[in-house]
Amino acid sequence: MIKTPPYLQPGDTIGIVCPAGYMSLEKAAECIRVLREEWGYNVKIGKTLGGASTTYFSGTDEERLTDLQQMLDDDEVKAILCGRGGYGTGRIIEQLDFKKFKKNPKWIIGFSDITVLHSHLYSNYYIASLHAPMAAAFNEAGYINRYVQSLRSALQGTWARYTCEPHPFNRTGEAIGELVGGNLSLIAHLVGSDSDIKTKGRILFLEDIGEYSYNIDRMMYQLKRSGKLKNLAGLIIGGFTDMKDTERPFGKDVYEIIRDIIEEYNYPVCFGFPVSHEKENYALKIGAGYKLKITKSRVLLEE
Amino acid sequence: MGERETLPVAVVRRPLGHRSTNNNPSFEIANNLNYLRSMMNRKNFLSSAGALIASSAIPSFATTDESTPAIIPAYLRKGDLIGITSPAGYITHEEILPAARLMESWGYRIRLGKTIGMRDGTFGGTDTERLADMQQMLNDKEIKAIMCARGGYGSIRIIDNLQWNRFREHPKWIIGFSDITVLHSHILRNFGIASIHSKMCNSFPEVWEKADPVQKETIESIRRALAGEKVQYTAAANPQNRNGTATGILTGGNLKTLETLAGSASDIHTQNRILFVEDTGEYLYSIDRMFWNLARTGKLGHLAGLIIGGFKIKQDDPGEEFGKNLQEIVLEKVKKYKYPVCFDFPVGHQRDNFALKCGVQHKLIVQTGASTLTDRL
Repeated sequence: MIKTPPYLQPGDTIGIVCPAGYMSLEKAAECIRVLREEWGYNVKIGKTLGGASTTYFSGTDEERLTDLQQMLDDDEVKAILCGRGGYGTGRIIEQLDFKKFKKNPKWIIGFSDITVLHSHLYSNYYIASLHAPMAAAFNEAGYINRYVQSLRSALQGTWARYTCEPHPFNRTGEAIGELVGGNLSLIAHLVGSDSDIKTKGRILFLEDIGEYSYNIDRMMYQLKRSGKLKNLAGLIIGGFTDMKDTERPFGKDVYEIIRDIIEEYNYPVCFGFPVSHEKENYALKIGAGYKLKITKSRVLLEE
Repeated sequence: MGERETLPVAVVRRPLGHRSTNNNPSFEIANNLNYLRSMMNRKNFLSSAGALIASSAIPSFATTDESTPAIIPAYLRKGDLIGITSPAGYITHEEILPAARLMESWGYRIRLGKTIGMRDGTFGGTDTERLADMQQMLNDKEIKAIMCARGGYGSIRIIDNLQWNRFREHPKWIIGFSDITVLHSHILRNFGIASIHSKMCNSFPEVWEKADPVQKETIESIRRALAGEKVQYTAAANPQNRNGTATGILTGGNLKTLETLAGSASDIHTQNRILFVEDTGEYLYSIDRMFWNLARTGKLGHLAGLIIGGFKIKQDDPGEEFGKNLQEIVLEKVKKYKYPVCFDFPVGHQRDNFALKCGVQHKLIVQTGASTLTDRL
């Protein structure tokens, strides 16, 4: 069985760190306020949120490593919310020490570049984590929307039950399995490394942003050729937003690309599931058991 | 056929009747007996080898092991036929003409594949069309080299459907770079066959006489590679270089393509090899991530040497400056190793992109001043 970190109680502490790109304190201010005042948690702000860094990163590798390590080891911290993604988690993943974390698992929350952490935890320690909106999603009253609220529910231990509209490319059916996945670029990038995920018998979900069509095609081929698409229980295709095309057009849109690559398999597939870099981004527990039910009229994902 | 004829003939472990359909690696032949391969390329091989000599002394073929020398296809002779095909992006007839004419002036005959002038979206024909064209060229014994018309994207979409048994029996040069890295990686990894990483049809000058010297030299380097002339390339001094000498089989290509081959049947071996990488149009963060991919998939730990070609870097967005340059990105990944590292090597999406023979033993000397890469034919 997958190890599920304890759900949060009122008054528990959430730590916020930035293991990848830089984020100013102002941009996270609303998130911090909501976590404290509306959701009733304590917040511990890591040094990498709004630090003195002037580079792309929220701090040097050492600073980001130390900050995240401290939060992992701090018994008081019951969940770690990554302020934002960007790029950089892969630079420190191998230096992180999960010894204490393994004994006292806690929720690690984020998406995009944080896919590295999710995948690493799942494949090495078999500990569940939360693929969910990060700090900036709280801004401009975003915290009221159902997607940020789904993070709150997940932290409280409410089992998720998400539905979405059908898509013409959907393949109907029912799948039961552990949920794995995240950002396609990162899932592909991790193939062959120590953080590579196994997908056999699992429900895989993928999303991405700002990629060229040909690159999506190539990454899907990498997943296919490394055996990751063959024996899935089911496949969830989230948002692929801000896609780019080459001067000579690729000739297919991103959902057509994915549909064609998985044509030979029989498992249920849904397109347009609300997991993405946009507002539509439900909290998903990596490693938890889910049921995916796809009918002609709707899609249901249930823990 | 010259004095090579007098060398002892070798090796077939199975009855001849199986010959034409055989794809069993153990059937294949000695790994360094080029003469034998050149014989196999000849139509009379079957009849002349009528008396079979089984030999256990000659190793079987499957050269996916990093230490085994690769199979080197026969070098080209005047009158040999070069096929041109588009396994990836599309190209027009007009665009390949300068390359076809020039290669004819080298004394070769040219055959255009059906995919030249074809178009399906960004591709040089549908997957089925590109596959069929490449397959025909691989199977056609008359064709001694296949030049890919251009890169772009698309080789990965057909690689697993290509049949290699005829190519393995009669290896020939496959020429190209960028997306063609898929082919180089696949055939070296799976069959141990050498290939040529070089410019393609779309980089030949329209008018040879008007081309600048560097462009001429790089195109000439393709001619020399095909003819089997020994080559030595020089890279200008770079203060970031790590000095040293390395010998080993050369492997590599486009970094992004190599990353997307990780975990697949075309993933390269790098142990004891000289690895070269190049890329274009990528952000520094993305280049950093790709080098982490090499590191974390075990490709940097046991190299003989590392060659960094051209990297055309996409400017960081304002406020998102990465803060490390290419040299820093590379050196931090290899600081625990001792092998030589050569920056600014003339390979990549650039004018000075010289023909490199993947799968062939090379010697890399990185020193203060100019560095050199020499093939050890």
